Amino acid sequence: MSSAPLLQVRGVARRYAMRRGLLGRSIDVRAVDGVSLTVEHGRTLGLVGESGSGKSTTGRLALGLEPPDDGDVMFKGAPIPPAGTLAWRQLRARMQMIYQDPLGALDRRLSILEQVREPYDVHGLGEAGERDAMATALLQAVGLRADQGSRYPHELSGGQRQRAVIARALATKPDLLVCDEPVSALDVSIQAQVVNLLVDLQQELGLGLLFISHDLKVIRQVSHRVAVMYLGRIVEEGDADLLLASPAHPYTEALVSASPVPGRRARPRIVLQGDPPNPAARPSGCAFHPRCHAARERCKVESPRLLPLPDGRLTACHVAHDQANFLKAAS
Amino acid sequence: MADVTVTALPATDASKPKQKQRIPLLVWCGLVWIAFIIIVALFADWLTPYRFTAYDLRNRLALPFHPLHWLGTDELGRDVLSRLIISVRISLLVAFGATIISAVLGTLMGFLAAHFRGLVEQFVLMLADFQAAMPFLILALSVLAFFGNALPLFIGLMGLYGWERYARIARGLAISAGAQGYAGAVRQIGASPSRVYLKHILPNIASTLIVSMTLTFPEVILLESGLSFLGLGVQPPMTSLGNMVGYGREYLTRAPWIMLAPAMTIVLTTLAVSLVGDWLRDKLDPTLR
Amino acid sequence: MLRFLLVRLFRAALTVALVVTFAFVVLRMSGDPALIIMSVDAPPEAIAAFRKAWGLDDPIWLQYLRYFSAIGQGELGQSMRDGRPAMQLVLERIPATLALTLPALALKLGIGIPAGIYAALHRDSLMDRIVMVTAVAGFTVPSFVLGLVLVLVFSVQLGWLPSGGQESWRHAILPVLTLGIGGAAVLARFTRSAMLEVLGQSYIRTASAKGVPWPRVVRGHALPNAAVPTVTVVGFMVGSLIAGAVVVESVFSWPGVGRLLVVAVANRDLAVVQCILLLVAMTMVSANLIVDLLYGVLDPRLRSGAKAGAH
Repeated sequence: MSSAPLLQVRGVARRYAMRRGLLGRSIDVRAVDGVSLTVEHGRTLGLVGESGSGKSTTGRLALGLEPPDDGDVMFKGAPIPPAGTLAWRQLRARMQMIYQDPLGALDRRLSILEQVREPYDVHGLGEAGERDAMATALLQAVGLRADQGSRYPHELSGGQRQRAVIARALATKPDLLVCDEPVSALDVSIQAQVVNLLVDLQQELGLGLLFISHDLKVIRQVSHRVAVMYLGRIVEEGDADLLLASPAHPYTEALVSASPVPGRRARPRIVLQGDPPNPAARPSGCAFHPRCHAARERCKVESPRLLPLPDGRLTACHVAHDQANFLKAAS
Repeated sequence: MADVTVTALPATDASKPKQKQRIPLLVWCGLVWIAFIIIVALFADWLTPYRFTAYDLRNRLALPFHPLHWLGTDELGRDVLSRLIISVRISLLVAFGATIISAVLGTLMGFLAAHFRGLVEQFVLMLADFQAAMPFLILALSVLAFFGNALPLFIGLMGLYGWERYARIARGLAISAGAQGYAGAVRQIGASPSRVYLKHILPNIASTLIVSMTLTFPEVILLESGLSFLGLGVQPPMTSLGNMVGYGREYLTRAPWIMLAPAMTIVLTTLAVSLVGDWLRDKLDPTLR
Repeated sequence: MLRFLLVRLFRAALTVALVVTFAFVVLRMSGDPALIIMSVDAPPEAIAAFRKAWGLDDPIWLQYLRYFSAIGQGELGQSMRDGRPAMQLVLERIPATLALTLPALALKLGIGIPAGIYAALHRDSLMDRIVMVTAVAGFTVPSFVLGLVLVLVFSVQLGWLPSGGQESWRHAILPVLTLGIGGAAVLARFTRSAMLEVLGQSYIRTASAKGVPWPRVVRGHALPNAAVPTVTVVGFMVGSLIAGAVVVESVFSWPGVGRLLVVAVANRDLAVVQCILLLVAMTMVSANLIVDLLYGVLDPRLRSGAKAGAH
């Protein structure tokens, strides 16, 4: 049991049928196209990508909220049961989610305390009389005051709401937390507080985190490993420090250059040309080639595979692999 | 229309805060009338001066303001006021019963459609389209032709009126709440569907449903009175507002008050509920048409 | 557009099939047709013969299919009262009903739509107030009350017009008025709110800000757009040409389809009720189809089909 990784996503794909007009033929839009990921106990995998890259869908697939069209998702070595079944509902106690919009994720007609104690009611944890006290303790653990439990969602600030959502997610002491853009809707000054809270809680509780964000700055703060998504596929994955210090894929390179780190010499900024990615019109070959500064003829026709480079990271780029092969041959 | 002043307030609709506090006079009148009519229905047994079936053969077709019969009597000397009070009770019973049945049924259908999607949803929508496309009076008449009209059956039949509106509302709101909102979050905690729908979604959409109930209620009263007027609704010796109008029609030339008293009651009640309903809609739920 | 049409046609057929199913289910749930149609004290042999003749001992699905095919062939049974074909009885009554509902429809359209447009363009004017008050009254006063009040005033008190019957065109005036006033008020209110909604849209403000003369803005932009929702209501009114006068025909003893229906329901004349039900369904469905076609003409978005998936 302990040898199996906490979460293993293996080659999952998710397609949506999209129809243009009544006469138009329906097109399969591949939101996620053969993604594999692993989240270890107590570690954080950062998943970064633009909007439309399929990172949120990947998060929903990882939690079993949607069934994958291809591939499978294993949690502690066992497949996740279909959504809505009793087994799936019981598994919710072990895996939880944090949302981008905490106001939307909270029921505006119930007090914060009632909502934070809801997981106890749902999963029958603790004595009914103790649950309010348990929930209050939880509120304090995420930095809210006990009296704020009697407030309603609209009476709290964005950061406080997100703390309440985190408290609710942690009520059952889950092993895995999927955070989908958890701080994007918050003020920059509040973002750091919430990110720090998540990091602290992870150390305290040994949480495995799948942290989804478009913001490399936040990803850098929390992640042990990083995976970069582009148009439904992972283009680069590896150790966070290595990948963010010396990106191999031109897309990662562009992302990193757009997010300078204080105290380090700024590298020349790469500005991406061309249209933002559209899953309904996926370019041939390497999907990134129309915007890539290093693209070659081969990139237009042949889709690169995600293969390891000598330093251990995985990259899906013809140019990067050619360079590595050249260096290996030269040495 | 053109002189919309731009204020610093966030994008709430251009509701004037002054009007929010005050209830318009007409709506007040409507509320008072509704309260009055409900009290009359509840305490009908104490309020009726005579049994509604009692004959007073010495005072047949008495004019209104008669010392013994304030609203006059009919052909058989039955007290119009007593009959009116009992009619109010029966008509309200039918309308309330039907509205509640329709709201519960429609909401349930909407939730089923939202929960199962796919074929179940298509089926519910097909039934809703069918219901909306056919004049309900005709459907009701055909059922009455086949089944006859005992009062519980009649209420149940009226309860099929307008369910498709609640079903559409409940389905739409439940789907949007489940897609990315609070309902999806609660489901993700592991809550059972009944908990998600009853504890979370239902309280959140209750105000919208109540507004539609107040908008449907007058239509049910009109439908009931129409059918009873035709002699196909509430059956004698039981009496309802429409029934009284139907009966009074025979004496239109000699004793118009028999017809006018219940007719006025119908008009005032539907008017009052419509006014309050419109006002509630504007206040609680401007999205509802 | 072709696909749009096919989808609509399919849905129309589905609605008719649903009505037939509805009639079948209601008929079967109401009890043993043999006992309903034959009298209770009929000899057992006669009932058995009837069951055999109508196939009532066959499995229910077979009866259902047979019922469908019978209706498909126009066999709608005989009236229990005089033994004539139900279809013939109903068809005979249609001209009388149309004699009321067609002039009433003209009245509704002729008054309701112009009044609604005028009220919307002159918001908060006296005319607008009058339209709104009348519209609320038109909704809350049931047609039988309105009809009886008209009789009370124009027949009983003033003696100008007859109170019931079908002898001359003068007999039709009160029922047509009763049908028309209420409908005109509802239509006026609906047209007004559709117009107001359109007038509040940004493209209207843009057009008027660009200097397009106001009458042209109204004719070119506001009216066609406001017509889209109004057509639905009018479609429903057209669809109820046959069924919409049930109550009014009864008030004025007008021998139309509605009167026939009420009498048939009271007498449990099942064949006639079922025939009227199907006829009404056909009318409604045809009216809906026409409305859908008009939508295609009025709303270019529907032609390309961008919105059709929303249902």
